[in-house]
Amino acid sequence: MRSQYRLGVDAGGTFTDFILAERDGRVRLFKALSTPEDGTLAIADGLAQISAALGRPVEEIVANCDLCINGTTVALNALIELKGVKVGLLATAGHEDSIEIRLGHKEEGYRYEPDYPPAPQLAPRFLRKPIRERVLADGSVHTPLAEDDVRAAAREFAEAGVEAVAISFLWAMRNPAHEARAAAIVREMLPEAFVCTGTDVFPQIREYTRTSTTLVNAYLSPVMARYVARIDDYFRKLGARRPVRYFQSNGGLATGGHMRARAVNAINSGPASAPAAGLFVAEPFGIRDVITVDMGGTSFDITLTRDGHTNLNRDIDFLRQRIGVPMIQVETLGAGGGSIAHINPYGMLEVGPHSAGSQPGPVAYGRGGTQPTVTDSNLALGYLNPAAVLGGRIRLDRDAACEAIRREIAAPLGVSVDKAAWGIHAIVNANMVNGIRRVSIERGYDPRDFALIGAGGAAGVHVVALAEEMGVRTVLVPKVASGLCAFGQVLSDVKHNYLASKPMRVGPDADLAGLEAAFAEIEAKGRAALREDDFGEDEIEIRRSLEMRYVGQIHECTVEIGATRIDASTLPDIVAAFHRRHEALYTYAEPQNPVEIVNLESVVVGKVARPQAPALVRGDGNAHRALAGSRPMLFGTDGVWTDTPVYAGDRLMAGDRLHGPAMIEEATTNILVRPGWTAELHASGCYRIDRD
Amino acid sequence: MSVDPITLAVVRGALEMTQREMTLTLEKTSRSSVFNLAHDYSNALFDHRPEMILQGQDIPIHLGSLIPAMKAVAGFFGDDIFDGDVIYHNDPAYAGSHIVDCCMYKPVFYRGELVFWTVCKGHLTDIGGPVPAGYNPDAKEIYAEGLRIPPVKLWDRGRRREDVINLLLTNMRARRNQEGDLNAQYGACRVGERNLLALLDKYGVETVRACIAELKDMADRQMRSLIRSVPDGVYVGRAVLEDSGHGLGELEIAATVTIKDDTCHVAVASPPQVPYFINSYAGNSMSGVYLGLMMFAQVPPPYNEGLYRCVTVDLGPKGTLCNAEEPAPHVNCTTTPMETLTDAVRSALEQAAPERVSASWGHTSGVNIAGRDPRTGEEYVTMVLASIISGAGATRELDGWHACGPLCCFGALYSGDIELLEYSYPILIHRYGLMSDSGGAGRLRGGSGTCWEVEPLGHAMTVVSFGEGRQRPTMGAAGAANALIAPKLGGIEVLRADGTERHTRNVMTTLAPGERLVNRSPGGGGYGPAFERPVEAVLRDVRDGLVSREAAALEYGVALSADGALDADATARLRAARKLA
Repeated sequence: MRSQYRLGVDAGGTFTDFILAERDGRVRLFKALSTPEDGTLAIADGLAQISAALGRPVEEIVANCDLCINGTTVALNALIELKGVKVGLLATAGHEDSIEIRLGHKEEGYRYEPDYPPAPQLAPRFLRKPIRERVLADGSVHTPLAEDDVRAAAREFAEAGVEAVAISFLWAMRNPAHEARAAAIVREMLPEAFVCTGTDVFPQIREYTRTSTTLVNAYLSPVMARYVARIDDYFRKLGARRPVRYFQSNGGLATGGHMRARAVNAINSGPASAPAAGLFVAEPFGIRDVITVDMGGTSFDITLTRDGHTNLNRDIDFLRQRIGVPMIQVETLGAGGGSIAHINPYGMLEVGPHSAGSQPGPVAYGRGGTQPTVTDSNLALGYLNPAAVLGGRIRLDRDAACEAIRREIAAPLGVSVDKAAWGIHAIVNANMVNGIRRVSIERGYDPRDFALIGAGGAAGVHVVALAEEMGVRTVLVPKVASGLCAFGQVLSDVKHNYLASKPMRVGPDADLAGLEAAFAEIEAKGRAALREDDFGEDEIEIRRSLEMRYVGQIHECTVEIGATRIDASTLPDIVAAFHRRHEALYTYAEPQNPVEIVNLESVVVGKVARPQAPALVRGDGNAHRALAGSRPMLFGTDGVWTDTPVYAGDRLMAGDRLHGPAMIEEATTNILVRPGWTAELHASGCYRIDRD
Repeated sequence: MSVDPITLAVVRGALEMTQREMTLTLEKTSRSSVFNLAHDYSNALFDHRPEMILQGQDIPIHLGSLIPAMKAVAGFFGDDIFDGDVIYHNDPAYAGSHIVDCCMYKPVFYRGELVFWTVCKGHLTDIGGPVPAGYNPDAKEIYAEGLRIPPVKLWDRGRRREDVINLLLTNMRARRNQEGDLNAQYGACRVGERNLLALLDKYGVETVRACIAELKDMADRQMRSLIRSVPDGVYVGRAVLEDSGHGLGELEIAATVTIKDDTCHVAVASPPQVPYFINSYAGNSMSGVYLGLMMFAQVPPPYNEGLYRCVTVDLGPKGTLCNAEEPAPHVNCTTTPMETLTDAVRSALEQAAPERVSASWGHTSGVNIAGRDPRTGEEYVTMVLASIISGAGATRELDGWHACGPLCCFGALYSGDIELLEYSYPILIHRYGLMSDSGGAGRLRGGSGTCWEVEPLGHAMTVVSFGEGRQRPTMGAAGAANALIAPKLGGIEVLRADGTERHTRNVMTTLAPGERLVNRSPGGGGYGPAFERPVEAVLRDVRDGLVSREAAALEYGVALSADGALDADATARLRAARKLA
């Protein structure tokens, strides 16, 4: 980091977070109310706050930033609210309904539910046009492109006022000529429309996934382009030295020029910066394997990073649309502070997925909420300070919380309020543990090998209990936990995923030279893009992976191979790595059976220099000076209330240790150190909590 | 012991997680497209009794049959069940569904005691016998269909019995795929066992058992309360199995549902079994009855055996279509007659509780394909699940989902990606799409069926069709009726060099390169009178090509002018005329 500052602006649903990182390691967090109608208003508000705090004009701060980084939910919101542009699809004739057939499946959880509606169609059937053309699986042309079909479709699109056109033909990633020609015709006839092809957006096998990804991209990109134009312009006028970088769902940054045509790459960018922040927080402890859990008001987001590599999703349903482009795997549960506890039709206690959100919010907020939430149970259990005032306005009402728990949960179940409150806490924890299994055990990782990192305002009182449930020995909670994602964005690199599909059986006839050439080709593209973005050769890092499977399987295992060149001498190690991966995931391998390679990917990274970690002043190790009082808390089904010391986080110094049970109160989060655990504040501003 | 409600909720979550991880293992590792693309499998957990304690939301065909099958298999071995055993089975004489559905059962022992069974059932692509994929329309006896596997141990106290596994695989086509699928099932059972042992370590056998008992009791209470809400009475539903063209004529299945207080008795009456592959043995018929019941109950997960405690079923005398006995041929039974049996039960319950029951879904009408792949020289054989994806029935609130059936799978199936199918098999899929006017007419429209058109590449391909739904449209509900029948039906056309063959009965035939097969899967049933459908909904369907202009007038009483706009006067006349009639 050569300049004085780096600025991160993360626009969330309610608040826009501003992180200003300074060269000396100081990190400051500011918040402004989000302004979805024009994001620059919130940015102006935040910059004014920063300017006042630093006593320097806004232009001077912006000009002294090496990078201004923006995380935005513009694409996400447009998809949630179905407010993308009018979009048309050109598909191989006979397959224009693939996007609506959706593989013929109804989602799990709704098997016998009569009122669960079909997924929304971004392009209605009359705007999905069949184009006569056909490429076969080997890339050969079976039926040439009927250009008149394309022209006729473009004329109808023009009449219908279509603003974006997705073009996705069968097997186009083996031979993109038809898609490219069709795109040229459409661009010529509809010069104002945004056009993208399957080969551009997601050049891998699986027609439905590719078409859906392409269509979502076409639907959202014009919206993103308008947003990016406004933000780029705003910062340019303030004198920013380099173009604004936008945060993508793959955990990396990209320029506005890239984003305006690839909105689908940013649809879940919000929580995708957690791994970068998690690694940064864990680094002073020499830890490289982390699971981050981010708990806010309505949701609980989990990510997993092993030895610096974060789990990715490549083919998932996101808001009921199939998305293929790699995204950081974020397991999102409806388990936040506002999640509502209720008795299900069978008479069982359940927590979530419905949430009281911020409006009306938990019962304890006294703003009209009547159904008990996780926050209400935490208050009832003594974990939250009943004297605390939230946001300067909301005073927590413990009696109201307990009464709601009694009425809605304890009475129907025939148990005490204490027990019901503990039950809500235990069940939401169990749901979170199951979510953590999905990113760990289901991906072949043992969670006990990881440190758990608590983020978000609400995670602090749950995270040690989660670790206890899973056998995790180390928990890290940074002081800036509530703004961890925004912090992660200023720590991120520029990153693009380049994909290709090159199916082949592993054997003496395998075209290894062709595979190496395919890697070389996509990596050349990646290097060129980064050089254009001012990265030097020594700042570019490339990480390869192969998607492999046993012949006859349909799903692949991803095998990370670093920078390994593909040739006859390296192949045996790659195949052995595949067998190991398969066994780790599914309990067995079949070393005697043939293996095939299907897809390849190169992650091309432009390394961005990291800010330094902060350094707190060291104390004498005795936390007593920070003791602020005590209150009774409940830690289990035994019903025994334990008088528990409460420490003021801002009075703790580096090296201070305290033994559980204890509560640490920070400005924006509370951290519960359960009995049997010991916490120590590290000089980097992070609490390390270890099992005794 | 009494159960702590919090522990109960946590144990429930752990059981669901276990079942989910078994499913994931199977999906990700299996070889046949029937498993890995189509998800034609089910994973379940049983307790020591053995009663089903959890089934996933997979294929309803397997919903009922696993319950008696598990009991038959455990009963067969009696005391001879040990830690490390793995049992395999497909035989309908031991409550299997049809012989292509092979089921693996792994007893889970904890400190020397049998506590659980992990069970994984799936549709193998081949089970030997004279016809690839197992569907032999000419079979007169079960012996002419394929390999029957009565309960047999594949692992004996932890030792893999290569001799037995070899015996089974030797009798199947595309051996390596079948072997891969067997391994995948083993992986799923092991993953389940691993999780359950961890659960027992944490809570102990006694607590876990108490939780399971309570979960079953809860399901029981839930089903009883639903049944209690239905007026006591005797309700009869009938459904007709269409003429298969094998000289059997039309066959009727009747279900008499007796509701008394909080109990439900279902009595099935069906004609004598026939020398054609549509006989259903008892295990499979239970699935048909339970699916009809679930279309009424519409309960959210979890699903366990407690749901059915208040339900008694009489499948009729042995030797009838829905209670078949050896040597009746049966391979088509999971779709035909199961779907007709489900319709009969659904229809009886529609009379009992009209506000709860939706229209029926399109029946299964599809094909299996087989041949030798010219790209590799290897044999291939598979059921084409894409070919059976039909339209869903309309409900009181919603138009039926397009392409979500068939009835017997209820949305659990996947059609599989077109490119993955073309990659796996030497075929060219010319069309996979929705079909105009195929959804049942109604105030709420039935979902569209699908059309699958295929051509073999560089080789001759065997095609075997199965199912029905080619003569009678899908049953609607609440007074829905169709005016245009033909587009709502399933059907098969073979496009030969010298003309088109149309088939309404099941056939086995060979396609030469350049020839094509067109398979149509029927649409779903409509709900309520079609002339009451809002005009704008009909116009939207016409715009989208889901309803033709002809059908708009004929079925919905909505007239369009030459330029496609609404002709309001003509529409008013059409709708008024219907009211008078």
